[in-house]
Amino acid sequence: MQNLDIISINIWQVVISLANLVILFLILKKFLFEPVKKIKAQRENEIETQYKKADKARKEADDLKAGWEDKITTADQKADEIISEAVERANERNEIMLYESREKADQIIRKAKADIERDRREARETIKKEIVDVSQVISEQIIGREINMDDHRDLIDDAIDKLGETK
Amino acid sequence: MSIIFLLLSVLSFAAAIVIKILFVPASEGIDITGAHVFFTVKLPIQDLPITESQVNSWCVMLGILFLCLFLTSGLKTRNVSVRQLLAEWIVEKTTNLVKTNMGEFFEGFAPFVAAVLGLSAFSSLSSLIGLFPPTSDINITAGWAILVFFLITYYKMKAGPWIYLKSFGQPVPLLAPLNIISEFATPVSMAFRHYGNVLSGSIISLLVAVGLSGLSKTIFSFLPGALADFPYLRIGIPAVLSLYFDLFSGGLQAFIFAMLTMLYISGGFPAEEYAARKKKREERKAARAAVMNANKRESA
Repeated sequence: MQNLDIISINIWQVVISLANLVILFLILKKFLFEPVKKIKAQRENEIETQYKKADKARKEADDLKAGWEDKITTADQKADEIISEAVERANERNEIMLYESREKADQIIRKAKADIERDRREARETIKKEIVDVSQVISEQIIGREINMDDHRDLIDDAIDKLGETK
Repeated sequence: MSIIFLLLSVLSFAAAIVIKILFVPASEGIDITGAHVFFTVKLPIQDLPITESQVNSWCVMLGILFLCLFLTSGLKTRNVSVRQLLAEWIVEKTTNLVKTNMGEFFEGFAPFVAAVLGLSAFSSLSSLIGLFPPTSDINITAGWAILVFFLITYYKMKAGPWIYLKSFGQPVPLLAPLNIISEFATPVSMAFRHYGNVLSGSIISLLVAVGLSGLSKTIFSFLPGALADFPYLRIGIPAVLSLYFDLFSGGLQAFIFAMLTMLYISGGFPAEEYAARKKKREERKAARAAVMNANKRESA
């Protein structure tokens, strides 16, 4: 077999080479460009869905956060309410207790006063009686005769009363 | 699994080497010829010789096919492997290149441009592993250029044959013959540019290698016996030339061919006329639909 000349045109060779390029174009399109484009589209799709998912999750989180914040503010309010109620109740009770204790003290004081009054009266009665007795004895000794107690009682009482008033 | 594809890809290049070793006789001295003919197929018009360039370009195609399968096997949407990154990088880069050079309308041309780039670059680079580069055969590049010419003409006719024919009379009808010549000069220049660059590269490499061995023979003739015959100067120096002619020139020519393809196709496409024609056609369609609706209403 011999070699070709350096420049030798052969129609069939040209046609084959032309077909070769077309075939290689088809090969590249089918086995390189289409799979790569497909995978790229798929990836973009995936990314898109991921983004959508992330957006959704964020929205949910935001909703949850808003709910919790709401709850926290209401809880604060409730706590304030409870505290103020408790304070009010405590104040009320305090007042009641104060009132009651004052009442009790007043009662005690009143009772004490009444006791004192009674004691004084009793004492006065006793003193009066003593004084009458004493004055009777003295006047009997002075006058030297028996005084009719019943006749003079009024007189003596009067004198004692006057004595008490002048004092 | 994917490793098998990579292995097959390498194997298809290895097969080309094996075929060359088995069937191509080693050349003695300087002989600048075309591709080696393996056998000839009888066909009408002209017999088809199956040559090295044909076989090598098929091997290259096979290699690219397996490389594609290797790159795109096991694509994932997450935890992307380096392999997939490379595949995506190739696709993105070529698509962007096509978009910036040709516009959005021609986005579907990305695989074609990638095919031109890949086939041309791999064909030229196959000379690095000692193969006959298919791009240094005029038939191969001519085939590509003719395909590009068909595409150019097809897109020029997209706005109607009348506009295409009228474009030959621009700017004055007197220049019509020149326009026709320049139309046909496009594929011819593309084919010969690519072919000539690669072929001249290998010829210069060959000449330099032969010249260097002659030079080393004269310089080192004082050495005794077989030591004098050893071509010392051929160590390393031709590799530098190969770096330029095979690697750089091969890649550059592939890029130039792809760029010219894109520019000619998009440059010849009469975008405004095409848009106007499309609009007119749609208007006519709408008008026809309106008339039909009116007729229907009347009959009803």
